[in-house]
Amino acid sequence: MPQYRSVFKDETKLDINYVPYRLPHRDKELRLLMEFFSFILQFPEKMTQRVMITGDVGTGKTVLSQRFGADITREANKRGISLRYVHVNCREYRGNLFLILHHVVSIFHPNFPRRGYSAEELLRILLQILDEENTYVILTLDEFESLVEREGSEAVYKLTRLQEIRANKPQRLSLICILRNLKIIERLDPSTKSTLQSNIISLEKYSKQQLMDILNDRVSLAFNPLTVPEDTVSLIAELAFSEGGNARLGIELLWRAGKYADAEDLGIVTPECVRKAASSIYAVMRKSDLAFLNVHEKLFLLGVARFFKGSQKAYASLAEIERAYAVVCEEFDVHPHSHTQLWKYLQMLSARGIVQKKVSATGSRGRSTLIYLPRISAYELEKELSMLLEKGEA
Amino acid sequence: MNIEDVFSSKLRVKILKILAQVGELNVSEIARRLGVNYKTTNKHLKILEDEGVVQHKVFGRIRLYRFNERSPKARAVQNFMEAWEHANKQ
Ligand SMILES: Nc1ncnc2c1ncn2[C@@H]1O[C@H](COP(=O)(O)OP(=O)(O)O)[C@@H](O)[C@H]1O
Ligand SMILES: [Mg+2]
Repeated sequence: MPQYRSVFKDETKLDINYVPYRLPHRDKELRLLMEFFSFILQFPEKMTQRVMITGDVGTGKTVLSQRFGADITREANKRGISLRYVHVNCREYRGNLFLILHHVVSIFHPNFPRRGYSAEELLRILLQILDEENTYVILTLDEFESLVEREGSEAVYKLTRLQEIRANKPQRLSLICILRNLKIIERLDPSTKSTLQSNIISLEKYSKQQLMDILNDRVSLAFNPLTVPEDTVSLIAELAFSEGGNARLGIELLWRAGKYADAEDLGIVTPECVRKAASSIYAVMRKSDLAFLNVHEKLFLLGVARFFKGSQKAYASLAEIERAYAVVCEEFDVHPHSHTQLWKYLQMLSARGIVQKKVSATGSRGRSTLIYLPRISAYELEKELSMLLEKGEA
Repeated sequence: MNIEDVFSSKLRVKILKILAQVGELNVSEIARRLGVNYKTTNKHLKILEDEGVVQHKVFGRIRLYRFNERSPKARAVQNFMEAWEHANKQ
C-alpha cells in the first residue's frame, strides 16, 4: 500500500501573512521605497517621510511594505538606530484614528488605558514615548481608505502636522499610506492632500508571466519537489491574471489545489485540482454576496435555483422565474413583489455576477431576456439560500 | 516606613501582586482591580513609591505605575511573589 505523503513541504509559506525574502517584479518599487527613507539611516531626527502606495487587490501593496519594513529595520538597527516598523490595517480598527494610535502606543506600553483622552492627546503621548525611548517609527496605514472615510481630513492632518509644530524636537513618525487608488484622496483638504501626494508608488497589475514567477517561487518554498507541474502553475497564473492580475488569488488557488491533491492522495497537484479549487473559491465569494441580499432578493434567487434544479434547460425566461418565485413566496408565506420590482432584482443580481442574463436573438414574440447561472450549481445555490432564509426567519 | 508597616496593608500587597502580574498599569485600572476608589489607590501607590518600590510615568492625564527596576527592594518583592506563586502551583 502506498504511504500517504502530502504534496506540501511547508504550508505556512502560502499564508496570506507570510512575507517572502524575494519579491519577484517588485525590486524597482522596493528600491524606490528604500530611497525615500534612506535619510533614516543617516540622520533620522532631521525629517520624516510620507509615501503612498497604490494598486489593485493582489498587486503586492501589503507584502511590499512589509518586506521594506523588515529590511529597513534590520539596516537601522545594525547602525544603532532604534527604528520600529508598525503595520496597521485601518479597516481592522474600523478606520478609527484613536484605536489605530492606541495600537501603536500599546506596542510600547501594553496596558495603556483605552479611555479618558482624545486621539490628539494620544498622538502627543506617542511622540513623548518615542522621545523618551529615542525611537523612530514608520507607521504603515494599510487600507487607508477606511481611515479617510471615517475620520476625514482632520485625522490625516493631525497625523502629518502635529509633529511638525513641535519646536526643536526630533522628527519621529513617518507614514506609508496604502490604498487602492487615489480617488479617496480627493476628499482631503488641499494642504493635507499636497503633503501626502509628493511620493506615490503605483503598483501595476501583474502579467501572466510575472504571476508565474511569483507562483514558482512559492512552489519551491511550500511544496515538495516535483509535486507541482508547470501546467498547473500556468493554469493558476491564467486564472489569477484574468481576475485582475491578482497574486493573492493565485496563491490561494495554489494552496487549495494542493489541499485537493492531498485529499485524494494524488501526490501531485493536477490542473483538475486547480479547477476544483477555483470553483470552491468562487463559491466562497458568492456566499458572502448572498448574505447581503434582502429577503425578496433571496426569494427571487431561490426561485431561479429551484427552476434550474428541476429542469434540464440552461436558460430561463423571466416569466418562468416569476412563476417559480411565486411558488417560493407561497412556501415562505409572503406576498410576492411586482413584476417591475423583480426586474430590478434581476438587474442587481446580474450586475453582481450572481446570475447572468442575455437577450434572446429572435423569439416568436420578439426579443426577450433569458437568465442563466454562471459557475454555480443550482443545487448548491438552493442549499445556501435555504440556509440563509431559515436563519433569517429565526 | 518599617517593613511591617509597608506590608501590613492588604491593598498594598495586592497592588504589588497586580504589578508583578501585568508589569505596568494606570491608576484607574489598579483601582478597578482593587475594588476601591481612585483616592485610596493613589494614597497606597504614593506610599509604595516613597519606599522606592514602584515608580510612575506621566502621559498627559495618565499615570502608569510599575516596579522600580533600579530598586533592590522591588526586585526582592518580585522574586518573593514569584517564588510564592510558583510554590503554590506545585
Ligand atoms: N512580487 C511578489 N512576490 C511574491 N509574493 C507576492 C508578490 N506580490 C504579491 N505577493 C503575494 O500575493 C499575495 C497578495 O499580496 P498583497 O501584498 O496582500 O496584495 P495587496 O495588498 O496589494 O492586495 C500575498 O500572499 C503576497 O505575499
Ligand atoms: Mg493588502
